[in-house]
Amino acid sequence: MHIVIVGGGEVGAALARALAAEHEVSVVDQEPTVADRFASLDVDFIVGSGTSEEVLARANIKKADFFIACTGLDEVNIVACAIANRISSPETICLVSRADFLGSATDAGLEQFGINRVLWPEAQLAVDIEQVVTAPGAIDAEVFAGGVVRLLEYKLDASSPLVAGPVGSLHLPKGSLIVAVKRGGRLFVPRGNTQLAAGDKIILMGTPDAMREVERLVRPGANQGRQRVTIIGGGDVGLQVAERLENADNVDVRIVERGAERGALLAARLTQTLVLNGDGTDLEFLESEDVGRSDVLVCVIDNDERNLLASLLGRQLGVPKIVTRVGRPGNLRLFERVGIDVALSARGAAVASILHQISGGTSRLLAVLEHGEARVLELTVSTTFQARQLKGIGTPEDVIVAAILRGDHAIVPRGDDRIDPGDRILVFCTRAAAGRVQAYFSGTGA
Amino acid sequence: MRLSLVVHVCGLITRVFGLMFLAPLAVALFYGEHRDAQGFALATAITCVVGQLMRLAGGTASEVAVEGMRRVEGLAVVSMSWLLIAWMAGIPYMWVGLGPIDAMFEAMSGLTTTGATVLRDFSQYGKGVFFWRGLTNWLGGMGVIALFVAILPRLAIGGREIFFAEASGPDDEKVAPQIKRTAALLWRLYAALTVLQIVALLFTGMPLFDSVCNTFGTIAAAGFSPHPLSIAGYQNPAAEWVIIFFMFLAGANFALQYRALVRRDARIFLTDDELRAYAGVVALATLALALVIGGSVGGDAPLRTALFQVLSIITTTGFASVDFELWNDQAKVILLGLMFIGGCAGSAGGGPKVVRHLLLARFTLQELRRMLHPRAILPVKLNGRVVPPTILQGVVVFFLFYILTFAVCSTIVILLGADLVTGISATAATLGNVGPGFNLVGPMANYADLHPISRIVLTLAMWIGRLEVLTVLVILRPEAWRSGRWSSADRVTV
Repeated sequence: MHIVIVGGGEVGAALARALAAEHEVSVVDQEPTVADRFASLDVDFIVGSGTSEEVLARANIKKADFFIACTGLDEVNIVACAIANRISSPETICLVSRADFLGSATDAGLEQFGINRVLWPEAQLAVDIEQVVTAPGAIDAEVFAGGVVRLLEYKLDASSPLVAGPVGSLHLPKGSLIVAVKRGGRLFVPRGNTQLAAGDKIILMGTPDAMREVERLVRPGANQGRQRVTIIGGGDVGLQVAERLENADNVDVRIVERGAERGALLAARLTQTLVLNGDGTDLEFLESEDVGRSDVLVCVIDNDERNLLASLLGRQLGVPKIVTRVGRPGNLRLFERVGIDVALSARGAAVASILHQISGGTSRLLAVLEHGEARVLELTVSTTFQARQLKGIGTPEDVIVAAILRGDHAIVPRGDDRIDPGDRILVFCTRAAAGRVQAYFSGTGA
Repeated sequence: MRLSLVVHVCGLITRVFGLMFLAPLAVALFYGEHRDAQGFALATAITCVVGQLMRLAGGTASEVAVEGMRRVEGLAVVSMSWLLIAWMAGIPYMWVGLGPIDAMFEAMSGLTTTGATVLRDFSQYGKGVFFWRGLTNWLGGMGVIALFVAILPRLAIGGREIFFAEASGPDDEKVAPQIKRTAALLWRLYAALTVLQIVALLFTGMPLFDSVCNTFGTIAAAGFSPHPLSIAGYQNPAAEWVIIFFMFLAGANFALQYRALVRRDARIFLTDDELRAYAGVVALATLALALVIGGSVGGDAPLRTALFQVLSIITTTGFASVDFELWNDQAKVILLGLMFIGGCAGSAGGGPKVVRHLLLARFTLQELRRMLHPRAILPVKLNGRVVPPTILQGVVVFFLFYILTFAVCSTIVILLGADLVTGISATAATLGNVGPGFNLVGPMANYADLHPISRIVLTLAMWIGRLEVLTVLVILRPEAWRSGRWSSADRVTV
């Protein structure tokens, strides 16, 4: 396939790196200095504006199957996609950073410019952070299918009731499921006889009601009072997280922003949040504001080094849960290794999502977990699939059907639930198994 | 400051004001009060001539300069013309036998929508005079200058400064992009409410003349009633409910009512911070008052009586449906407190205004929070929008000067022989444009027994209160005049 990428920033580089081996990739960027980043890759780098027909022609746009606009400027991305769409008809993907470009139920949004997919990585990150923050004790949390399925990840300690016996004998709430266990760097789907141990990370999925019971089960006596959340960094993501948390119950939010002017803007936009003008990496300041007594610290400065410093200071001050944004996807592991509970990368998620789309198939990638080791896919079961009960299916190894979506509710299947052709299902699988899932459910299931 | 311009515009306003006497003139003729009619005719002649002379004195250069009116000139025009037209409005009272001090007091009380009176015996005066009292209320309610900005083409552009100098509240608010249209739309709404109330009062069985005059007193939040016993004199519960309803509207922001009406969206009205605070204070004060007066003096319907008096005082109308002078001190202190709250910004009500209290309260709370979090950014918000610090400073300064003016005036009045309750309540009632106070100046009494100098001081207090203190105080600064020169033409130095 031929793929044109406009914008040679983090996202463009990560995409090019992943795609260069199997596809023809042309990267367009105005900055000649950016070329260095692509020098070691087997791609075609073109200096010029992505909004110029002449430049796009040089990138061989006529033959392109995918066109990805990921410069830092929304307007440039939109215009580039519109022009690409006029010249030929590649699948266009456009990155934006503002809510009004996403469109709404009544308004087609950017589709009218011939843009097939609009991605706003920072917004998705804000949603993810909100999920993690509002699930006490969890180190990861997501919602799927418009909120009817929820995912939580916990790290077990010795006092957890879940280490009492093998998974099959645990009385988990009806409608919930342990989909994965991570032990010693290896992630696997547990079986009935798997024995959980302290130090394991477990991932559970289920309906929202069941997951609320799970939360009570996993962390009995977790404080039910108001949660104190401190956000460091008042950029796009910080503002959105604060806005989302303001709407949640029982959360007191504070946001620390270094720039006085930006701080004033935040204070104008936010109604309940306390906006503090200070440096999140200044220990004295953090101490004077008692940041150590927060329940959650969210570090979303747009700079990995300062973010890491702020997070480590928070840990030093005794904050029990630290959620940090990571700019360079490559830094993710490092962040968690030095003791940050949850490290999230907006761009990493966006890149994974685009790659999944390019690799094809009818399934949609809903989430990438544990740094790409596991995925949650949504797919429609092929009409040629032979209907049968789940226990008779014999799914491929490291694949588990987490939910069957019927109407606007979800069924968390047990062995005797049936999967019919045409069902929409949520599947949890490891990275290696993702390809098999696709083949299995789109075929006859043999 | 270009003095010729100030004189010219004041003349312009005075000349038009002269035509207002034609209305009571017609009423006097209709009721066959020919002697009073002569007084109104004389007032028309004097006012128009004085206005025309001032206009001419300003010179032709001023006619062009009006469009470039500066803020300080606007303030001077508003302050001066209010004094001037109050003098003119007093001419008919002098004609029927009041002394100059009393005539000025009555006229200023009418125009500033205070509703404090020096008339002892209502039976001495004709219908024309009562109509004139009502009309001065009505003109002053939405603002004399706002009316003239709406109708005088000359003020279409230069009117901006004088419109906002007269308008009440800490912030400038427009309902249309053009100031002339804003003034016209607000006056239209005001006139429509007036007609509605007159019709409603007629339905309750009040005679036409009384309906008109009492409506003027209600919708302007003013309080002149042609009945010596105020609304209590009618013993008409239905009319009281009508007046309660329209007093509430008169005390609410007209621009807000206009927007809610035009967009047919009651939410605009119901979600406004100031209006909610206003409604909240009214509800709370009514409950408290109903409890305090109880069954003993509240009559058959303590809740209605309490609501009427609370609205009458907080909107600074000053009507009375009972003689609250007879109430106990616990009830009176509630009413006295309400005098220091006032109506909403952009309403007909006087006083410091609800929104200023709201801003001050929020400002204070934020400053308290700042002690806990010295590095916090804590903007004060109104209706979800950040209020600029300059406006907050204006509010704080306003309160300082309001209290200062109150202290100085009440001290003078008490030193000149009034008792403590009379002195304090009379000053609060005139500075806040409420009308009746307690004791000697109670709702069924009058201000005529105060020392003459007290009456002058209180006349000035009404003027200062109506123009919201700072407008008047600014032009008292020598600085405003030091740069004063007569010529309107900008001098060119070679």
